[in-house]
Amino acid sequence: MAASVTASPNSPLVRPAPVKSGGGASRGRHHPTSPGLGWILPGFVVAVGLIYFCIGYLGYISLLPWDWRPRRPATIEGLDSYVRAFDSPLFWTSLKHTLVFFIAAFVVQCIMGIIFAAILHSKVYAGTLFKVLIFVPVVIAPAIMSPVHRRVFAVDGPINWILQHLGMIQVSGTGNRDWTGWISWLLTHIGMGNVTPNWIQPSTSLWVIIAVQIWSSIGMAFILFYAAMGQIDPEVLEAARIDGAGGIRMLVSVVVPHMKPTIVALAILNAITALKLFDFPYLVTAGGPAHSSEFLGTYIYAQLFGVSSHYGYAATLSILLLILALGVSIMMSVSTREVKPGHKAKGVRV
Amino acid sequence: MFETRTRLARVGLTALLAVMVIPFAVPLFTMVQGSLQGRGWANYRTVIELEGFWLYFRNSIVISLATITIVYFLTMAASFGFSKLRIRSKELYFWLMMGALTMPEVVLLTPLVITASKTGMAGTFWAVIIPLVALQIPFTTLLTRSYVDGIPDALFEAARIDGAGSWRQFWYVLVPLAKPMAVAIVVLVLINSWNSYLLPLVLLGQAHGHMVVTQLPNSFKTQYTDDQTKILAGAVLAALPEIIAYISLQRHFERGMAAGAIK
Repeated sequence: MAASVTASPNSPLVRPAPVKSGGGASRGRHHPTSPGLGWILPGFVVAVGLIYFCIGYLGYISLLPWDWRPRRPATIEGLDSYVRAFDSPLFWTSLKHTLVFFIAAFVVQCIMGIIFAAILHSKVYAGTLFKVLIFVPVVIAPAIMSPVHRRVFAVDGPINWILQHLGMIQVSGTGNRDWTGWISWLLTHIGMGNVTPNWIQPSTSLWVIIAVQIWSSIGMAFILFYAAMGQIDPEVLEAARIDGAGGIRMLVSVVVPHMKPTIVALAILNAITALKLFDFPYLVTAGGPAHSSEFLGTYIYAQLFGVSSHYGYAATLSILLLILALGVSIMMSVSTREVKPGHKAKGVRV
Repeated sequence: MFETRTRLARVGLTALLAVMVIPFAVPLFTMVQGSLQGRGWANYRTVIELEGFWLYFRNSIVISLATITIVYFLTMAASFGFSKLRIRSKELYFWLMMGALTMPEVVLLTPLVITASKTGMAGTFWAVIIPLVALQIPFTTLLTRSYVDGIPDALFEAARIDGAGSWRQFWYVLVPLAKPMAVAIVVLVLINSWNSYLLPLVLLGQAHGHMVVTQLPNSFKTQYTDDQTKILAGAVLAALPEIIAYISLQRHFERGMAAGAIK
């Protein structure tokens, strides 16, 4: 308990060692009282307090009967509802959707993001206008855009209108849309014969959600790649150019390797987004039809506020989702530590 | 990146870009065009004359402002503490906080619903603001702490020698120096709170006057039995403040959100 460091009582700052470097790792011995604690406490209590309380409570509810709901007698049933979750095909379907969603959204974001960033780093006309157009979808709330996306993918919506004018869709007298001959021939031969231009249906609804998410997130990928490309040493590009590399060659061999930290960051960001996903599947397709676009978020919501509520089961699913999110969180802190030295606090130096 | 030495190449590249952004424009175009179908601008008047129309915006403004203010102060204070003050086993506190970094809000739904109704907080703004704040703080603290780590200790030391206590160091050294970070926090928290849908839906309720802006378009689904033109007009009106804010503060939005994405 010896206070060997002489800090004046009203100053929690460590007495200056003559030379100092770095941030706040503990220097010297600890003071018996922690005068700085008051500064972190409010934020700590709100965030950690609430979230850890919720997690603890969640763990408790998950051990109750799976169809438990408030104002019912609570008896500990153990891990029954976990068994139920692992036995439930819907749980695995939701997970599969999350994985497909993650891979598809991530790949498309990387490719399109890099292409957009490269083009806008070149000299084009009205660059700012294009930038705004690409980024606006990131800003607008998914919940606000959802009814618009329903309209976009409606049977008589703009997507089908475009396809019709490209000669890929024909409209029958009753207003039904179907593929014109060659498209339907093509689709049958690549094993997608069940895909019809009626987008919110079991065979395509997941892809509608993916498309919608890509629409609203490419702007983010673009901004990140755009910033990362601005940090490439111009001399590197010049050297490649002198060596005779053309635009596309340069993009693939010089620029893309520099994008690695951004790609890692995007992978993590997308993994979190995929696990958090709720607004789009809930509002655009309602997780359906027939659970074809069900995600863990909509699945949990349906357990709480569906036809009958199963709080116990919802809590179990939440715990499982939490474990997945925590896994991503750990990956995140590991990878940022790896990436950090070369690209210190990238994007943060605002 | 791509060389455009001739004007033709430049026009060509711009044309390629224009074709590539068509998919981005389609929903925006659909939104505006659909909202003007049928009775044209009168659709907008119907939406604005909806009883309690302004309440959607007021509620969102109250929630966003409160969330931003609370997150800002708690984050700044915590970052000051974590970065510059001596606190016993503070790294433990820090990692406990970082454990909550990627918490999906839907995970908190079950306990929040039960707790909110038990404590009688359901239907109040606090029921939405507190979870929103809790979900933002780990992330904003992570960002801000690493920023504050970059501010030399000597500045705080100088202030201390001049007789400033930790309050004054906070106000006159940290807060002004961390201003660029404040912009990022404000943008990030603004977007996350203004765009939040699930928490207000569940915790604020769907009663009249208790809805937020993200619920505006969909409220016409029940009231007017799926009247597409009103829904789309509602979507335009609900999206407008965000689009205006983004275009007028373009750089801040892009930087703030990029800061939020990478870390």
